[in-house]
Formats: sequence, C-alpha cells, structure tokens
Amino acid sequence: MADKEQAVTPLDSGSQALSEALRSSFAVVKFVMVILLLVFLGSGIFQVKEGTRAILLRFGKPVGVGEAALLKPGLHWSLPYPIDDHQIVSVTGIQKVTSVAGWYAVTPAQRASGMEPPPTSTLNPANDGYVLTADENIAHAEATLSYRISDPVGYTFDFRNASNAVQNALDDALLSTAARYRVDDILRNDRIGFRETVRRRVSELADQRNLGIVVEQCTVESIPPRQLRDAFNEVLKAEVNRNIALSDARSYANQTTNKASADAQGKINLAETDRAQLVNEISSRAKQFSDLLPNYRQNPSLFAQQRLTETVGRVLTNVQDKILVPESTDGHPRQLWYNFNRELPKPNLDGQSK
Amino acid sequence: MRRNPLILFIGLVLVIIFGFLLFSFQVRKSEVVLVTTFGQPRKPYTEPGLYFRLPWGIQMVHRFDQRVQNFEDQLAEGLTRDGKNLLTSVYVGWKISDPSLFFAKFGGGDAIPEAEKHLKQVLGGAKSAVVGKHPLTDFVSASDNGTNYLNIENEILGAVQTQVKSSGYGVEIQFLGLKRLAIPEQVTQQVFDEMTKERQVLVKASEAEGEAEASKIKSLADRNAAEMLTKAEGEATQIRALGEAEAAKYLPVFQQEPDLANLIFRLNALEGTLKERSILIFDRTTPPFDLFTGNYSSGSTNRYGKGSAGSK
Repeated sequence: MADKEQAVTPLDSGSQALSEALRSSFAVVKFVMVILLLVFLGSGIFQVKEGTRAILLRFGKPVGVGEAALLKPGLHWSLPYPIDDHQIVSVTGIQKVTSVAGWYAVTPAQRASGMEPPPTSTLNPANDGYVLTADENIAHAEATLSYRISDPVGYTFDFRNASNAVQNALDDALLSTAARYRVDDILRNDRIGFRETVRRRVSELADQRNLGIVVEQCTVESIPPRQLRDAFNEVLKAEVNRNIALSDARSYANQTTNKASADAQGKINLAETDRAQLVNEISSRAKQFSDLLPNYRQNPSLFAQQRLTETVGRVLTNVQDKILVPESTDGHPRQLWYNFNRELPKPNLDGQSK
Repeated sequence: MRRNPLILFIGLVLVIIFGFLLFSFQVRKSEVVLVTTFGQPRKPYTEPGLYFRLPWGIQMVHRFDQRVQNFEDQLAEGLTRDGKNLLTSVYVGWKISDPSLFFAKFGGGDAIPEAEKHLKQVLGGAKSAVVGKHPLTDFVSASDNGTNYLNIENEILGAVQTQVKSSGYGVEIQFLGLKRLAIPEQVTQQVFDEMTKERQVLVKASEAEGEAEASKIKSLADRNAAEMLTKAEGEATQIRALGEAEAAKYLPVFQQEPDLANLIFRLNALEGTLKERSILIFDRTTPPFDLFTGNYSSGSTNRYGKGSAGSK
C-alpha cells in the first residue's frame, strides 16, 4: 500500500517520515492485537493436578451432572471468561469425617501416640465432649464416617464447607442416637444396633439436606467415662465371676448326675448279679438235691451223719484255729477266755492267746 | 487505507471481548449478586448466568456466597421444664436468600461474620425458649424412639426461621440440629456418683444372680442324682424279686424231701461261713470229735484238746 501511495502522490520527506512512523506503529498495533487474542484464548487453558478434579462452568452454570461433570487430571481448555470458568475440587475417593461432640479433650499428638490425658474429676463441657444416654448417664462416643461424593456439583456449589456439614450431621446423629440408648447398650450389649442407628440417621440427614454423599461405612467407638473405668471394670469382673460360678455349678451338676447314673447302673447290675447268683445257686442246689435224693432215701440218718462229718472235715481244713474243749471232770462247765486282737489276725500268725 | 480482513476480524473480536468484560458479569452457581448503581442497590441476581451491566464506576457488582454456611453457637445453659440445668449448642445451615436485604442489613464487606453474630442471638433466644418447654426426658429417653428429640430440633428450627424471616435479614435457615448436649460441670460429679452406684448395684446383682443360679443348678443336679439312685434301687429290688420268684420255682423239687433240702442248705451255709480266718471252738460231742470221747477208739484223743487247753 505504501507503494501505491507513493505512485499517486510524491511525498515530501516530512510526510514520508510520518507515513513510516504510522506504518511501524500499525505493525506494533497488529502485533499487540494478535498477542492479546492469543493471551485471551490461552487464558482458557488450565491444569488439573493429580488427585483433584475440575468442574467446568459455562455462564456460571456447571457443565454436566453428577460425576460426569468432573474433569480428570491433565491440561484442559475452556472458552475464556466470562463465557467459561472452572473450579478445582478435591472430591475424589473416600472422604472421612470424625465426630467431635462425644469425646474428651485430646490433642492430635496425644492421639497419635496413643496416650490419653489424665482424667479430671469432673467433665468441663467446654473442653470435654460426651454424650448423654437415655438413662441420663454420661459416655464417650466417637463416630467415624467414610463417604463417597455422589453429587460433586451439589457438594461443591451448594455448601460452603460440605465436609463440615457432614460432620455436623454426624454429631447430630451420634447425639440423638445416644439419647435413645441406655449406657449399657451403647457400651456393651447393643453396640452394633447403636452403630447402625447412627449410620441410618446420618444417611437420613445427608439425604434430607442434599449433601450429595453416599455413606460407605460408619464406625462408632464408645467407652465409659475414664473417671469410672474401675467401676465399669468391676461389673465386668463380677460378670466373669458369675460365669465362672455358673460353669462350676454346671460341671458339678454333670459330675453328680454322671456319678449317680453310674451308681444307679451299678445297683442294677449288682441286683442282676445277685439274681443270677441266687437262681444259679438254687438251681445247682436243686440238682444236688435231685442227685442225692436216692441215696438219702436209702438211709436218711446215716446219710445226714455222713454228710455232716464230711463237711466238717472239709471246713476244718480251711479253718485257721481250731480249739477243742475237753469236757470238765468236775461236772462244772468249763470257761474259755478268748482275747480278740483288735487287728484281725493275719494268716500264719498266732492270733490266739489264753 | 486497505485493511487485512484477518486483522479486522481480530480487532473486532478484541472489541467484543473488551465490551464483554466492561459490560457484562457472570453469576456463578455458588453466588448471588447484587448490582448497585452509584451505591444504590438495583437488582439482585440469584440465578447463574451472564448478565449485562454498566461499566465499573457506574454500576458495582457485589457478590455473595449463596452456598449453605455452617454455623454453630456456643454451649449455653438453660433450664428444662423440670428445672434441670442443661447446656445445649446447635448448628445451623443457613444461606443468603435475598442479596438486597442482606446487603442492606450487613453491607458488602465482612457480611457473613456480621450476619452470624445476629444469628447467634436469634439462636440463643429460640433455644432457651424451647428448652424451657421440655422436660429432660424429652431430650434423653429410651422409650419414645427419638420423636421428642426431633420435635425439639424442629421447634428450635421453626422459631429461628420465623424470627429470621420477620427481621428481614435476607437469609434463610436450611436446617438445624443439636450439636452438643451437656450438663454443668459440677453436676457431672453427681452423675458420676450415680453411675458408680448403678455399677455397684450391677456388681451385686451379678454376684447374687451367679450364686442363686449356681445353687439352683447344683440342687437340681443333686435332686436328679437322688431320683436316679432311688429309681435304680427300686429296679434292683424288682430284679431281686424276680430272681426270688425264679428261685421259688425250684421249691417243688425240694419239697420232695424237705429234710434233705434243709440238710443241704445248712451244710452249704456252714461251709460258706467258715471259709477263711475263722476260729472254731468245739466240744467233744460234735462229730467228728465225738471220736475223742472214746466212742470208737482212743490213743491220740488228747492231742488237740491238750494243745488247746495248754495255751489257755
């Protein structure tokens, strides 16, 4: 274009210089314009770091619904503001919150090292959290909730601090559930029921409030006040003792019945033996009787005499001591003194005296 | 001057962009916006989108976070209907619902803490009013399934909502719940004493129950054992009787010659009793020692007798 102008009107040196200046400034302006456009377009580039996600907003409205709205880590380009905008969020994976309302004051360092602060004689509500139970007792309880964010858009754009809102709901659930359970149920008898009720209640609250989360897991730890640990342990000990006493009694019962049943069987067996013996004996006597009967009938008195003599003879071989008392000569009956040893005389020992 | 069309286009785009930046603003989903013209509130924008405005200096854009804010108040002591001291603190989820009202009340700067200060007062009033209407058993009870607890929360929520609405702060309470329930520190000692007593009762109960149950079990076992033995004895007697009945069958055999039967039994008895370690003392009339009386012979007669008599 400069050539053309030159061709039409020859210029003096002044206007030529002006034209030169204009031309160069036009070039600068052109350059600046291109740079501006590039910068403007480039302002839509953003990076999503590992472990985070981004939500794209077009005219202020999130693009996409639910988890589809999340942009993965990496470089992204959007139209520049004020058309598009983006919001970096960290809503991935399992989130965790722990209730604060129900536990005694403990610093993170103490917690990490497993130490606990020494119990004070009273609980100052400003420092120490606890729950009131249905029977107006005090207990410590701590709930830990693991949840997944099912609606990242709502979680991010509807709540200034959604995890805090979840924590409040968790504290609420813990507190209201504890107020319905007796201290023994919370601490021992119905821990699972207590935990499940807390879980149900916190899910309910999260749904009511559109927190956009799904509860994955809820654990509840509960302990008696540390000031009363001994008293609670005493109860446990007493219960252990009771169980020991009961199992002792049961084993005694077993033993007694077993022994009795053995004894009873013994008695019956003995009776059976006696019966068999009696019958055997009688039957053998009967046989003996039948065998002897013909001989006896021939001469009963001789037979009897014979038998007696025979038997006495047999008996005498077995008898240890035999004493024959001769008839007295003076007609008076003889007196015989016999001193029984306290101990039974042993065989082959002389147990006889006087 | 002839212009390059590309450069013209770029220039046009830049002008549009510049115009956009100057004459428009974006309302994000998380925000509400109030536009003021020379400081005078004009129009609230509560829906996300792109809106037009006059340039900076004429119209100002005030942005407010319209997300739900968490706020919890301090523990405060109140008296329940049955005269018990109860400390409560509540949490609320609240948000800005009307930016013009909110701006008018709290201004554009540190508006949220300012608003929360007001909220705190409202909460305190509502709380103590509601707590005073309920006995402690409405807060803690094993029997009512938590309905009263919910009612209390809802009553406080209702009271706060009404008051917030009527005072025109441009805020809205989304939800409310009890964050803490506590009793005054001095009272905890009493509760601990009560609890200790309860524990002692449980210990006693456990012990007593154990003893009672154990002795029940034992005595039942003893009874069963005795029953078993008695039953067995009865059976044994029956068995023996059976035996005797069987034995009695042999009676006719013996009846053929009762004398012989007697003789046999007596002899057997005699033999049976004198098996071992017996000492037998005779006089000379007992057979076979009647031989010593000289009935049939003499001679060695005196040997036993003398030995016996000599040791006397």
